[in-house]
Amino acid sequence: MIKKGLAAALLALLGLAAIVGTSKFLMDREYKSPALTPPGQTAETPRDRGLADQRAEQEKADKEKPYQEAEYRPFPKVGSRVAVWVAAQLHLLFAAFVLAVPLFALIIEFIGYRTKDPRYDRLAHEFTKLLSVSFSLTATFGAMLTFGLIILYPKFTNYLVSVFSPTFLPYVGLFFFEAFFLYTYYYGWGKFSPRVHLLLGLGLNVVGTAIMLIANAWLTFMTSPSGISETGALISTWDAVRNFTWMPINIHRIIANVAFGGSVAAAYAAFKFLGAKTDEERAHYDWMGYIGNFVAICAFLPLPFAGYWLAKEIYAYSQTLGLTMMGGAFSWLFIIQAVLIGNLFLGANYYLWLGMGRIQGAQHFQKYIKYLLILVALCFMVWATPRSIISTVSEIRAMGGSSHPALGFLGVMSAKNTAVNILILTTYVSFLLYRRGGKTPTVKWAKTGNLAQLGIFLAAASIVLFLGVYGYFVEASVRIAFSIPQVLSVLFAMVSVTVIDVFLYKNAEQAGEPRWGQIAPISQYVLIFIAVTFTWLMGLMGYVRSGLRQHWHVYGVIRDTSVDAFTPTLGFATKVVSVTVLIFFLLISFVFWLASLGGKKDWEPRVKEGAKNNLPEPEDLGAAV
Amino acid sequence: MNVPVSLRIAALAIATTAFYTYVGQLVPQKEVQPPVEVVISKDMKPEEMAKVGREIMDGKGLCFTCHTVGKSGALRFPDLDGIGGRAASRVPGLSDVEYLAQSLYEPDKYIVPGFNPGMPVISKPPIGLTDDEILAVIAYLQTLGGTTTVTMQTKINGSAGGAEAPAAAPAAAASEGTAAEPAADAAGSATPAQEPGQ
Repeated sequence: MIKKGLAAALLALLGLAAIVGTSKFLMDREYKSPALTPPGQTAETPRDRGLADQRAEQEKADKEKPYQEAEYRPFPKVGSRVAVWVAAQLHLLFAAFVLAVPLFALIIEFIGYRTKDPRYDRLAHEFTKLLSVSFSLTATFGAMLTFGLIILYPKFTNYLVSVFSPTFLPYVGLFFFEAFFLYTYYYGWGKFSPRVHLLLGLGLNVVGTAIMLIANAWLTFMTSPSGISETGALISTWDAVRNFTWMPINIHRIIANVAFGGSVAAAYAAFKFLGAKTDEERAHYDWMGYIGNFVAICAFLPLPFAGYWLAKEIYAYSQTLGLTMMGGAFSWLFIIQAVLIGNLFLGANYYLWLGMGRIQGAQHFQKYIKYLLILVALCFMVWATPRSIISTVSEIRAMGGSSHPALGFLGVMSAKNTAVNILILTTYVSFLLYRRGGKTPTVKWAKTGNLAQLGIFLAAASIVLFLGVYGYFVEASVRIAFSIPQVLSVLFAMVSVTVIDVFLYKNAEQAGEPRWGQIAPISQYVLIFIAVTFTWLMGLMGYVRSGLRQHWHVYGVIRDTSVDAFTPTLGFATKVVSVTVLIFFLLISFVFWLASLGGKKDWEPRVKEGAKNNLPEPEDLGAAV
Repeated sequence: MNVPVSLRIAALAIATTAFYTYVGQLVPQKEVQPPVEVVISKDMKPEEMAKVGREIMDGKGLCFTCHTVGKSGALRFPDLDGIGGRAASRVPGLSDVEYLAQSLYEPDKYIVPGFNPGMPVISKPPIGLTDDEILAVIAYLQTLGGTTTVTMQTKINGSAGGAEAPAAAPAAAASEGTAAEPAADAAGSATPAQEPGQ
């Protein structure tokens, strides 16, 4: 067999040598014109001369080539826009996770420190296990995004540098400090005194938030530039930083990051729960999933209010921009958003309802679930109703316009604001029922307290409904202002009812402890569904925030003149979002897997049964020395 | 069949993502192109100007992002139906052309009662219509309930050449049909302005 192989190799070599030899023989016999060869010079073929001339021309052209600054450079296959889009989205998703987890890990650790309950400390530690690899991935995608911008959009990037260069050094410095705090916080778990460790966590959060504030200034400037002249020349970097949408985006992002981080951490717990081998493991990961989801939903409830503020500032900066978002090219995107948020509310409520099964004495609350479900479904339907409907010419004639004569009324902001506020209140009621499961208040004023809570709920719901209906009968300038009392009444209801509930159920009788781990496995798939939906929602809203500028890199200042200057269809955008989400989950699964390696035994060489271990014993080694 | 947990989770993630992608395909699909520059020549007739003005309002001007023509009810910005007819009586002392010009160059000078300010200065970025494009837009607006009197030679305040323009003849003359006004005439001196919405 070896001989045959050698013979074949030899034959191949001989063949190659024959081809090279034949080629050289033929090339050496190329035509040479003696008449054209000057005396005393080496014979040169016409082809040689031609090649020499070509080289000389190229050299001359190279020397005379003027310097031209590239505006854009292409990216193969998918194009520059999609390449930067995917890199930016993945960077933002990991960054959101890395910023959010320390925020609630610190709070959980603090609760553990105050209550002396080691479960909280263990839980906080487990959350932070997901951080270090995620931090590396954040930095990697950040580098990809930066290089992508420099290479593919050099002129635009140069402009941003001219405006924001004073912020770059602090950014790099803060990034260094973030790495310092993050790794010290993680590796120093249990190695420092609790107070020092908590301070490290606080430092990590402060530095992480500061990094986000700087990066937010760059991207919000692109949407609502300020601090520059009419031609785009820099007047004040600080004014450029604190542009119209900077602070609303900061607040919106902090809340959204916590909601997203909580949901991904809950998905991790679900992943571990489903693979758990013991009841103890199941109980731990059930609890972890519950906490993660609780964090996510707590942050999710006020998120629409932060969204209102952001939208208000966008309108304040430019009505055109606001109307492009809500009434123009992107208006249908908010129908997709309604489907996502509706699913999140449904998922969150369903998880809470399933969770009641693990609480002894909570069964009597389950009879209310069907009513809550009806409310959630109704609100979802109203929110997802479009103003205008895609229809044929005959259908438009029959309806008397592109809006349905009856359903069209549900497509306007008055109806949608009302629906989302009722949806938030309903979810809050679900949470309240869950919280009360198996408990009986012992305070004397229990009945009064319950009545007060009911009164507050009814008052808030009435205000929301009344303003929602009244909005149809007033002018635009009045109607727009109605969203504020609607939001405030819901916020007031949630805060005041919670405060009453805390005192109401202080020292309450409890039918039994929650039976952690005893929950239907489908609940864990709900947690994963919520995490995927949150991620997808972040991708979609990231697209609208950026796409809103349409054919402008910096709105009204630097125009996009590239081949990608058009705004793609929503169908295309959703495909890009989906691909990004799947890449994120592939990578975060890797993070989960890496985090779970920590609990496994160290690798040991396998020894065949009965075989003598040939490795020398330490004593033998000592003897040998 | 016992499907591994990791496969189930992967299937759920893919199915959820696929569902949202599908929802994304159900909504209207519109690719929005950057505005195309419309060719305007100085010898265009009023009716040609109105036609081009309509095109500009549809495209580069982004006017119909906010405004409607022929709609009533709870509107966010004034409906433009009949504006050509009522423009002359909106602001005392301003002719229809002057009023329309003011509403485009200085939109916050006059706000139609019941509406909030919010219209951008049309001659500046991000919309950035040229003076000639604005004349064409005014020509179209005049057709909505009125007659086009503005010409490509009309000079208006707010425009690049407006400050140097001699005082205008009363716009009423134009509206009475004195053919196309020469450069110095028409909407000259008064400052135009807005309906947050015009």
